[in-house]
Amino acid sequence: MAPTLTSVSEIERKLASLRLDEDRAARLRTSVMTHIAWVPEEWVEAAEDVLAGLAERHPSRTIVLFPQSGKGGLEGEVSVESFGAGENRSVCTDTIRIHLHGTSAEHPGSVVEPLLITDLPVFLRWRGVPAFGDSAFEELVDVVDRLIVDSTEWPDLPRPYAELAQVFDRVAVSDIAWARTSRWRSMLASLWPAIARVERIKVTGTEAQAQLLAGWLRSRLGRAIRLEHEPSNKLAGVELDGEPAPFPPGDPPLPADLLSDELDKLSRDPVYEAAVSAAVT
Amino acid sequence: MALAEDQRLENPLLAGLPVSRRSEPCALVIFGASGDLTKRKLFPALYSLAFRQLLPEKFGIVGVARSEETDDEFRERMKAAVQEFGRDEFRKDIWEGLAEGMRYVRVEANEDAALDRVAETLTELDRSRGTAGNRVYYLAVPPDAFETIVGGVGKRRSAEGWTRLIVEKPFGHDLASALELNDLVHRYFEENEIYRIDHYLGKETVQNMLALRFANGIFEPIWNRQFIDHVQITVAESIGIEARAAYYEKAGAIRDIFQNHLLQLVALTAMEPPIDFTSDSVRNEKVKVLKSMHTPGPKNVVRGQYGRGYVEGEEVPGYREEPGVDPNSLTDTFVAAKLFVDNWRWADTPYYVRAGKRLARRETTIAIQFKRAPHPPFEELAAEGLRPNVLLINIQPDEGVSLAIGAKVPGQGLQIRTVHMDFLYGGAFRTDMPEAYERLVLDCMRGDSTLFTREDEVTEQWQLVDAIVAAWRRDRPSFPNYPAGAWGPPSSDDLLQRDGRTWRRH
Ligand SMILES: NC(=O)c1ccc[n+]([C@@H]2O[C@H](COP(=O)([O-])OP(=O)(O)OC[C@H]3O[C@@H](n4cnc5c(N)ncnc54)[C@H](OP(=O)(O)O)[C@@H]3O)[C@@H](O)[C@H]2O)c1
Repeated sequence: MAPTLTSVSEIERKLASLRLDEDRAARLRTSVMTHIAWVPEEWVEAAEDVLAGLAERHPSRTIVLFPQSGKGGLEGEVSVESFGAGENRSVCTDTIRIHLHGTSAEHPGSVVEPLLITDLPVFLRWRGVPAFGDSAFEELVDVVDRLIVDSTEWPDLPRPYAELAQVFDRVAVSDIAWARTSRWRSMLASLWPAIARVERIKVTGTEAQAQLLAGWLRSRLGRAIRLEHEPSNKLAGVELDGEPAPFPPGDPPLPADLLSDELDKLSRDPVYEAAVSAAVT
Repeated sequence: MALAEDQRLENPLLAGLPVSRRSEPCALVIFGASGDLTKRKLFPALYSLAFRQLLPEKFGIVGVARSEETDDEFRERMKAAVQEFGRDEFRKDIWEGLAEGMRYVRVEANEDAALDRVAETLTELDRSRGTAGNRVYYLAVPPDAFETIVGGVGKRRSAEGWTRLIVEKPFGHDLASALELNDLVHRYFEENEIYRIDHYLGKETVQNMLALRFANGIFEPIWNRQFIDHVQITVAESIGIEARAAYYEKAGAIRDIFQNHLLQLVALTAMEPPIDFTSDSVRNEKVKVLKSMHTPGPKNVVRGQYGRGYVEGEEVPGYREEPGVDPNSLTDTFVAAKLFVDNWRWADTPYYVRAGKRLARRETTIAIQFKRAPHPPFEELAAEGLRPNVLLINIQPDEGVSLAIGAKVPGQGLQIRTVHMDFLYGGAFRTDMPEAYERLVLDCMRGDSTLFTREDEVTEQWQLVDAIVAAWRRDRPSFPNYPAGAWGPPSSDDLLQRDGRTWRRH
């Protein structure tokens, strides 16, 4: 185990020294972004699974924040990985894991700012329901260019969508739950124009998928549509006015692919934003 | 066998051998030997020079201050300082070589006669160490101690050898005091004997700026208003004022950083190619830049002061709560400005500069933002990730250069996103980076003043600062106006937003 680093400046120094120790070949570095993950205790395992496998696709710096209770201070750990990328070339990425206690968990913005790669987009993957209104969430939203959530992880839907809609003007938002409905939305779109008159949608899937599909239809068609939801851990079927819709072709995407795709997007998604707003009405 | 005089002058055997960076024999006198700078910077630098055999073989050091101390106590204290702050491994033999030539002289404030004791010690060093009458006087003392020392030293110039004077910042408090100070030193010293330190100029990356611009054919042709949209220079510190309230209260960010470091960085970025790299050619070009900068109107200057906030995950006090600071202080801890260099190369190309304490991160950077590609032939969606090209010169904390370029995302379609390529200097050349003070002290001993500020540069810099400060006197800012850990007050963002631009975010 590497010795624990207890301040941001120690982490910075460690990063610099690790880079100097690498092969000469790796010293010319290319990066495309900084990826921050906010991982409360109950999400640690799931998060680590997704992080593995991400680095190769997105040469970047990943900062994983583990908020914890306690008086204050932080414990950090840094690793640099190089991946072969063709002849004599390698891509290197740093992963910084920081456990935040007390004050530093309440003010993570001041911890990550010194660690961002300058001039590149910053993504924040927030595990669980964002702590809307808390200093931790508010500070991070101001630092990043894009917030990535998975509303499948949220209880009490659709209520939290109302709060999510409040941040649309401050930061671009991606929702992995929304990405998971993408195949179904293409299929439903193929039912135009018949689908224009639909009044009732029944979704067998997660609560988030149900709410987002209903919100999407309402906002696109510009009228009220009733939602019926049949719980299931994956999107398994859609009925329109009691009629089952055809199943979309292809396999559902893997979790790492979903996050990876969201990390390629940079601008706001107005269709998603409208769907979220319509999900709460 | 007697040698003819001309044979002795040019040694034909030296052809092709490496040129030594060593200086001639000399003695270094440090006024302020008990101070912070001596401990943290000067002695670690001297030790590193000794470590690399860059000091003259015949060398001596005289420490001068008011504190009571013997030669041996001085040696012990500096040994501890070298061990604590040095960047090289501590070797007893090297230290002892240095320590042998160390002397300490105690003085009273404003006591002219004390300089006799310094002169006697120097004569003794000439005899015992062979320092040959060559002197470097380093003024590491507060400005109010300058006059006695400069006068005292000036009146006692040794009959043989050369004399040089290193003056620390701040050089004056405004134009009038800087002119007075120049008059004072010129009473006893020629301009080419005066070495005004701006330690930023001793940093490798800053010098690399010159190499980057003038040794590479690809940059200079685009280094102008036609290709560059604007330049951003940031000197950000995350620390507060430490224990330097008395100094900082009077200086503020504008005198502490803007007047010297920031304006020097602008000058180096904007200057024309010098005809050669001699000190006067380089400084002639820098001074032309400083002269062609017009005073920004009040709307183009922003000042700030930090309040309570969070830095690196910890709560920190506001400026007015710092020990030794007036609870109603109007001192600026942040300054930002939009500057113009009025010449053919730069007309209408703004230089946005900012400096401050307690900002979100420690960083000194020069960012050259190029104009956008005129018509990116990509669909709007594809090009959304396309930011303008930025050449970023990182001076602190990692010295290096990076270039942001647009590249295609692997996979289908033609999605573009910004890719950053960067390299650290330390990485490309395996040698450690020398500290700025090593370079500067050595340059002075070798008589090279390229990296020191000349009289006319200082004058130009103060003229600009005086004009800004004069405008500030007319209104009362409502301080504090930014929390510690932010990037300065909102008005700093407005400064760029009015022009449809933004500060580099991170
Ligand atoms: N520290 C830095 O990192 C830094 C950076 C840039 C510039 N500077 C500049 O360097 C100078 C020194 O800074 P510092 O931080 O070392 O200050 P400091 O720690 O306060 O030291 C001042 C030194 O001057 C001596 N001194 C004061 N009055 C004197 C007098 N009348 N005659 C002889 N010696 C006298 C003091 O020693 P006694 O009390 O024993 O006499 C002490 O050794 C200042 O001009 C400062 O602005 C410092």
